[in-house]
Amino acid sequence: MSESDLPPQPPRLKSADLPDIEGTDHDFENSVGPDHNTGVAPPGWVITEPTDISTLPPSSLFDLTQPVMDESAFFEEDTQRPLISLLEPMTVLRTEYENGNQVFVKQIDWLIDRGWVGIRRTRGDGDCFYRSLAYAYISSLLPQSSRSQPQQQQDDTSIINVTKAISYLESTSALLESVGFQKLVFEDFLDLFVGVLKGLISPSAGEGGRVRAKLVEEFNVAEVSNSIVMYLRLLTSAEIRSNPDNYEPFLFHPETGEQMNTRDFCEGFVEACGKEADHVQITALTKALKVDIKVAYLDGRIRSPSSSSPSSHLADVDFVEFVNDEGIEAGDKGKGKAVDGEGIILLYRPGHYDILERRLED
Amino acid sequence: MAAVSTRRLQKELADIKNHGTPTGITLLKADDFETWYLTLEVLGESLYKGEVFALKFRFEPGYPISSPAVQFVVDDKFRAPLHPHVYSNGHICASILGTEWSPVLSVISVCITLQSMLASCKDKKRPPDNDRYVAHAPENPKKTQFVYHDDEV
Repeated sequence: MSESDLPPQPPRLKSADLPDIEGTDHDFENSVGPDHNTGVAPPGWVITEPTDISTLPPSSLFDLTQPVMDESAFFEEDTQRPLISLLEPMTVLRTEYENGNQVFVKQIDWLIDRGWVGIRRTRGDGDCFYRSLAYAYISSLLPQSSRSQPQQQQDDTSIINVTKAISYLESTSALLESVGFQKLVFEDFLDLFVGVLKGLISPSAGEGGRVRAKLVEEFNVAEVSNSIVMYLRLLTSAEIRSNPDNYEPFLFHPETGEQMNTRDFCEGFVEACGKEADHVQITALTKALKVDIKVAYLDGRIRSPSSSSPSSHLADVDFVEFVNDEGIEAGDKGKGKAVDGEGIILLYRPGHYDILERRLED
Repeated sequence: MAAVSTRRLQKELADIKNHGTPTGITLLKADDFETWYLTLEVLGESLYKGEVFALKFRFEPGYPISSPAVQFVVDDKFRAPLHPHVYSNGHICASILGTEWSPVLSVISVCITLQSMLASCKDKKRPPDNDRYVAHAPENPKKTQFVYHDDEV
């Protein structure tokens, strides 16, 4: 009873080979300034029909008409933040923590010092990992900047990369069908996904900057954006379902921690909209998409001092790599490794994913 | 290009027309892409032998990413089945219609799930909080956040 009176907790990342964040719970949550996890504070509950039921005790209220506050529906109303934002300087994020947890501030400084000066935020709606990855994946197919290459050469590179991606994505529909998804449930999502890619290389797409701006625009059309997210969810599920031996030992219920079977896990925590991705989903999706990604863990934890770093006031940020061709354990390998290359880099803060970039603005 | 919801529902409808519906399920009315009605009965031995129910599906423009609003029809012709997860106003407490909805589910697969929910019922009774719930329930069951007590029933 009392448990159900509590507002929902933001999802936590739990995984054996990631830094444990459980222990720092209270400190951590109270000291963080802005509510960066979800964009807005979780409501307790809001009574929609106050006159009818305001006289009832809370326990009865809970059994009665409740507001729509389950994850997906709750976040659908979180329209304050775009689905995918324009690139912002990291210093903007820094100011949000200045009055909060100083370890975050130091970790942000650490990132800025190493050239990670931009952040592209996603809405905190439970789809943030998938949406961040989708955007960063598509963006990685385009030339990084205008730098030295002539325009024509950049266009050619884009066309080759995007065409390859389209043909690969189209080939994944066979994997989805092989695990029993009906074509009718996923082909519209795939069509929209491919449509966005085709738009990037159409003759009318324009030069690099305009293409990126258009990509951000498209990612803010809910139907397009959510369809891409959904396709990635189904692809993740198909990967797990088709390799149960690789994944089943790692399938745990995110709340109870109980071991789950492949089907229940995929139905409940992969295919269902708005369910956060954890380490297993990230591993499976990067493998199914054949992409390498790095996730920077901005977790507010102080690392033990390192002799190699003379600037002792800086807190390090771990980059965890997910490498697609090394199987499920690959995530362990790159822990703590210095990152210099470009590619798909996500920024994790407890309960939320954004995109990390080396550019300040679009 | 038509909205995803329309394209998807067109395909579901074509699938029903081409391949028919599973035993015990019939399409009653699907004149548009907003509201469909289907009938549901449990064939074979069950507590609902001989009873026919009707389901009403309402689709939002966000379907199939957002779940359909599904309820049993309660009117002069149909009643809601007597079941621990079905309120007398036709609202259904089933996680697949709420937090566990996924676009891999379709109108027909929802019907099949509800059919098996009825088929496996051991005790025909209303949810314990039926009267309280029904007295204050919103018109649209999607506005209720059900607490899913028991997925096994």
